[in-house]
Amino acid sequence: MSGGVERVDGLDGGFPRSQLEHDGELIRTGAPVTGVVGLGEVIVTAHGDGRLRFFGADQPPVIAPVHDGVILSMARAGADRVVTGGEDGAFRETATDGTTTLIARLGRRWVDCVAAHRRTGHKACSVGARVSVWTRAAPEPVELEHPSTVAGLAFDPTGTRLAVAHYGGVTLWSQSGTEWRPDRLEWAGSHVSVAWSPDGAYVVSAMQENALHGWRLHDSLHMAMSGYPAKPRASAWVGSRPYLATSGADQIVAWPFDGEDGPMGRAPIAVNYAGPALVSAVNGLPGTAVVFAGLDDGAVLMSDLEEKPQALVLRGTTGEAVTGVAATPSLSHLLVGDSAGTVLWAPLKA
Amino acid sequence: MNGKVPVTVLTGFLGAGKTTLLNRILTEQHGRKYAVVVNEFGETGIDNDLVVDADEEVFEMNNGCICCTVRGDLIRILGGLMKRADSLDAILVETTGVADPAPVAQTFYVDEDVAEKTRLDAVITLVDAAHCEEQLEQSHEAPEQVAFADIVLLNKTDRVDAATLARIETRIRGMNPYCRIIPTDRCDVPLDQVMGQSAFDLERVLEIEPDFLDSDHDHSHDDAITSVTVQADRPLDSDRFQRWFSALLQEHGQDILRSKGILDLDGEPQRYVVQGVHMLMESDFMGPWPADEARRSRLVFIGRGLEQLDLERGFAACQAA
Repeated sequence: MSGGVERVDGLDGGFPRSQLEHDGELIRTGAPVTGVVGLGEVIVTAHGDGRLRFFGADQPPVIAPVHDGVILSMARAGADRVVTGGEDGAFRETATDGTTTLIARLGRRWVDCVAAHRRTGHKACSVGARVSVWTRAAPEPVELEHPSTVAGLAFDPTGTRLAVAHYGGVTLWSQSGTEWRPDRLEWAGSHVSVAWSPDGAYVVSAMQENALHGWRLHDSLHMAMSGYPAKPRASAWVGSRPYLATSGADQIVAWPFDGEDGPMGRAPIAVNYAGPALVSAVNGLPGTAVVFAGLDDGAVLMSDLEEKPQALVLRGTTGEAVTGVAATPSLSHLLVGDSAGTVLWAPLKA
Repeated sequence: MNGKVPVTVLTGFLGAGKTTLLNRILTEQHGRKYAVVVNEFGETGIDNDLVVDADEEVFEMNNGCICCTVRGDLIRILGGLMKRADSLDAILVETTGVADPAPVAQTFYVDEDVAEKTRLDAVITLVDAAHCEEQLEQSHEAPEQVAFADIVLLNKTDRVDAATLARIETRIRGMNPYCRIIPTDRCDVPLDQVMGQSAFDLERVLEIEPDFLDSDHDHSHDDAITSVTVQADRPLDSDRFQRWFSALLQEHGQDILRSKGILDLDGEPQRYVVQGVHMLMESDFMGPWPADEARRSRLVFIGRGLEQLDLERGFAACQAA
């Protein structure tokens, strides 16, 4: 665990306010940021008051009220749109101009998780233990049942497989025409989120037990990645190797997924932040090995995993946990959202 | 308190009056914002705009500890409620009549996200005076809910005579000596006696009276769940106590539903307070002993088959030489 950043004395152990904060715009929405998704040069935030906010360069944010109550989940559904699930039992699709359409109303229960695939146009959401999948082939969704409440949903890179996290493991559904066939990846405990590796060879879940669990699909090899002080719920695939950069520790922990055995028997890269705060949000920058880490004390740091493991402070400590961070691919802007509903929208280039 | 949202858990059998109490809380506490978590198979007719359906999914942690069960759905629901733009004054969790209250309570110890934003205020068990004797005999869950309670709301007392009521109270007392028993007719209890109780705060453990044991509870019934109070007049050796207590909870945590104690550790000027739910335990030093109070260690257990655990001798052996 080498590297790290200099601490500044007299700041009660926190990180100092950055130039970026000085240059950027601070929007206090009053509603916790529950998700951040990049749509090319537009970045969208989901909020606890049911609103989506679309941020782009040289324009005021587009505000779209889409749900009644908390937006519980959001996923990218196309070049310029997201799907969202809410406390109001609605599953919606909203474009960057704020135009929103109802995909389905699923009763009075919460729509906990959503997923979408850009190329196939598949859209999925979960209510309790049931996942509904809409395809372009039929107006009615396919209903997939699970042994317990669904806590995570993700389409693979081809859009023909859907990973569903729940208690006791992950169910992999494979599409064959209009049929979806399940395979169960079992591992004791509660799985709270799920992600695919970019090549579709691995599925990785975050667990209630402050650990990650991975499966190499061709031979169902198990990988346990433990030792986190908190749930590593947030993760991002970073760089061409690629690395799985994860939250849940006082440092970015990035597992290498190249080679025959991926992270098996190898140590992760760790970028130490030399403080008590834990990473609560993580994101990459497409085409680079740059990783953004949002901490639960509000700070945001940037590191390049292929270079010396050290971090640049993009935002200082605020006291409110970062819930999402993203940069535009052109590196024109950085967006940070937190649990108090504050959004920092800051130009990265002078 | 610390800005954490208090969570009140309502247990009790179907028909005991949970919905009546819920609706009273919701309608009489004007201007307050509550979320109510109900079971989808539970009673209906809750008068609130923020009612969330729960599945009562009990999850085991994969650490092999059978006692560390949590309510997975509650972790998810509380997480969602904490993302609201408006802040909640309290959350009410209604469980079904057949639910074991332990996983609900353990969720607040085990899950850090839950513990950071919310706190367990109290477990309130509603008991139907007219049917409870039968229910205590016939079900596994009814005694468990009574044993776990901070407050037992003994409801529908107008349907039984005074002798029956006294018998029921004695029986409940035998299973759970430190719960507050509130007799009511139609859940007509002042709400400040059920809300805002902070029953799981270590501070509240200090309210266990020094003469607790002397009240000599009447175990007239042969209930499987009982309580045992042990005490020691000489200070305890800290290491010996920690070894004994943690081994006890490790081995018998499944049978010990709740434990609470105020302890005099050798060489420590402050009172050492412990509180446990099954094998999960928290403890802290809670200030000096009152000048007018004898420094006497006391520890209360509620559980099953406690008489076989030799608690008196084990505790006595923890005393410093």
